[in-house]
Amino acid sequence: MEGFVIALFVCLILALITKYLKVPPIPFYILAGVLLGKSGLGIVQSDELSRFFSEMGLIFLLFFMGLGLKLERIAANRSAVLTSGIIDLNVNMLIGFVAAYLFGFNMTESLIIASAFYISSTAMAITSLIENRKLMMREAETVIWLMMFEDLVLILFLAVISSGNQNLVFLFIKIAAVLLVLYAFAHWGKEFLVSILDRDDELPILFTFAAVLTTASFAIVLEVPETMMVIALGAAFATTDPDAFEQHARPFKDVFLVVFFVFFGVTMDLSGGADPFMIAAICILAIISKLISGLITGIVIHGSALAGIEIWGNTISRGEFSIALAALYGSGLVATTIAVMVIVTSIVGSFTAKYCSNLRRGILNFGRRAPLHRPHTNR
Amino acid sequence: MSAMALRSLNLPGLGTKYEFETEKGDMVAIFFTKSGLIQMYTLQKGCRTPSAAEMTPVEARRLGNILTGAIIEADQESVEIAFSALADLRITIHTFYVPKSVTGKTIEELQIRAKTGATIIAVCRNDKNIINPPPAFAFEAGDAALVIGESDQIKRFEREIMVD
Repeated sequence: MEGFVIALFVCLILALITKYLKVPPIPFYILAGVLLGKSGLGIVQSDELSRFFSEMGLIFLLFFMGLGLKLERIAANRSAVLTSGIIDLNVNMLIGFVAAYLFGFNMTESLIIASAFYISSTAMAITSLIENRKLMMREAETVIWLMMFEDLVLILFLAVISSGNQNLVFLFIKIAAVLLVLYAFAHWGKEFLVSILDRDDELPILFTFAAVLTTASFAIVLEVPETMMVIALGAAFATTDPDAFEQHARPFKDVFLVVFFVFFGVTMDLSGGADPFMIAAICILAIISKLISGLITGIVIHGSALAGIEIWGNTISRGEFSIALAALYGSGLVATTIAVMVIVTSIVGSFTAKYCSNLRRGILNFGRRAPLHRPHTNR
Repeated sequence: MSAMALRSLNLPGLGTKYEFETEKGDMVAIFFTKSGLIQMYTLQKGCRTPSAAEMTPVEARRLGNILTGAIIEADQESVEIAFSALADLRITIHTFYVPKSVTGKTIEELQIRAKTGATIIAVCRNDKNIINPPPAFAFEAGDAALVIGESDQIKRFEREIMVD
């Protein structure tokens, strides 16, 4: 218990500092966890309490993702979302997978590393677009749709990888059935839901918490992964009043997710003998592969490779979803690799998000200067 | 896209975007982010990088008031509301800080309604609001009065009552 309080207190201080410096807090929560945990000073141990809180953090993160899904809007924007999304998926999954496989991970491990390698941090991308005042740029919209597409791929990936020994078709039918029931509940019970959310006593927040936990606990009965259950619940609730649900679920998500990150660091096992060269190579590749996908997207969608630099700068950061994948399916070396990649890319990403516009302008000016040196007779 | 066309877009995870092009070809974009803050971007025609301002909801409303043409002075604010369904009825609400000449007098003594046609609907005193003050209500130094009426009535109120 004391360890838990210490960890929470450290995170509070870190949150204050990172907000002040305008850098993403996630890498620092993980680092703090590593320092306090079994690979560091050993002050904090994971226990029943921290495991429960961490699990809640993951559940609420995915519930939020479900709430944010706007399927009808993706359908309306299909061509742009699909083109950039597919470029991003193919380039990064491929590079991530090949790199991990060549470094000696087995197929499943490589697939998990590749997914964590592929999926950028939605939270960091959107925060950096707002904080760096980039919303008006055309590339900002592309980045936002990319994040949405990545979320969809993650859902599909979670469904496939968590199927275990189950028949995949049977699992998909079950997930579809769960979705249908939840959608029906949201549709027919919309008035009831809205009447609860409109109250200003403790009921809305209690209802939101109970709904998420109840749905998650049905996972065992139905043998549908917990992750799928809460995403489906979020997607169903999104058809009623998603803003109200976000408002009531936010306190839980904010607190539990911090615990999730710090205890991910605490339980991280560095004794497995991680190869620093391999991890450094993966980190560098993670930055380069987003540059490649960014440049291609820039050329295809915006007709300019320079636009790709803007996309690259804002999508380097890997974050919450990569860690979620590592916590769910990664063990030992896989989790360590993903954690280091998240820490490195999110710190590098916060700088590139701030300065990639300058870089882009620099390249542009450099390119413009060249024709001036040409003899005037050429005109 | 023709000039003045307003484009609105709901961006997942971010909020709502409104964008339009002015007749002169400048671009204006407003973003209502989920955090409640509002960002306004303007991009001059021919320029590559926009400039941006971030506002709280209160600041954004102030900007809105200025743009709709209401009078705003340093300490005083006014809002004009137009009801297009009611024969284009335009009602103005204006705040005034009471001058020395008025302190100690009641609303009845000042004959505000008879002289100007405007009505005092609220008075702010020491950060407390007195809604719908009675005719016997006496002003004190430092009071801020909220006056409602047509713009002519408000002007008359300013000329007749708010004199030092």
